[in-house]
Amino acid sequence: MKKILISGFIAGCILFIVSYGGLFLAVKFFPGLFIEYNNPLFNSNGSRDLLFYLHAFIFSFALSWFWDRFKGLFKGVLILRGLEFGLVYSVIALLPVMWISFSALDITVVMVLSWFIYGLVQAIVAGLVFAKINP
Amino acid sequence: MLFLSPAKLLAPKSVDKTNETKKWIISENSNLCVNGSTNVNNFSCEILAYDQTDTLSVNKNKAGKEIGLSGCIKLKVQSFDCHNSIMTHDLQKTLKEKQFPVLRINFLSLSKLPDLTIRPESITGAVDIEIAGVRKRFEVNYQISADAQKNIRLNGSRDVNFSDFNLIPPRKLGGIIKTKDKLSVDFHLKMKSME
Repeated sequence: MKKILISGFIAGCILFIVSYGGLFLAVKFFPGLFIEYNNPLFNSNGSRDLLFYLHAFIFSFALSWFWDRFKGLFKGVLILRGLEFGLVYSVIALLPVMWISFSALDITVVMVLSWFIYGLVQAIVAGLVFAKINP
Repeated sequence: MLFLSPAKLLAPKSVDKTNETKKWIISENSNLCVNGSTNVNNFSCEILAYDQTDTLSVNKNKAGKEIGLSGCIKLKVQSFDCHNSIMTHDLQKTLKEKQFPVLRINFLSLSKLPDLTIRPESITGAVDIEIAGVRKRFEVNYQISADAQKNIRLNGSRDVNFSDFNLIPPRKLGGIIKTKDKLSVDFHLKMKSME
């Protein structure tokens, strides 16, 4: 349990920097991709900002438990284990969620694809951290 | 819609020799434009066709120092068009359209009585702008001109802030996408003078 929490926390800190740093840079260099976010669908009064920024930790603790439970299934060198873990998470969890989001919400294909890639990169980074800290 | 009291309407013109009153009827071809920006794009939202006929009354006292202006234009927030349905809905939500469906501009005064010539004249004037139930007084820069048929064009512009009206500029993704507080409001009134 301790290992799950420690590796989850470390992965959360790294994901926090990678995710929000990446978002900040993406807005700066590719502003056109974010015009669609001026949409009433997205919370606009700042009341959920804390929840938004906690996402990296919610994500990392959940994946840390998942890694600890199934890490024996991911074999090979560190990079390969991290990559496979990220891909497994993306296919099992992200793909169906993105599918239902696109079918139900007034959002674009580009937006859904960007969320999928964002989640995939987050899961691969988390997988690499777990493979290193909790092999 | 007239905004003069019935007593004023029934009173003969210029009964009081110290005052001179003129009436300008706002035509339906008037429009209003709000320009703003976010850190990812600029937006321009317009109400292209003002769908009412209102009257502005210009009242000059004998000294001619103070030009009173009375009249009001009421704009439906629902009529804003940002040329992008998503942004249009976002602006309407920000302006609390469901609670406050109408935006009002009350005209109060002019810095001087305009000459009403073809050449646009720069003057200033005071207005009350009411958005989302909050009324604020502003000085507006006007360009005013008139053609030979006494068609008057009054173009007004003024920068306002969302925060002037206790509105929070929209921010998305934890503030990574932010709308700037400043908005530029431009309105173009086409009017006919009733002498």
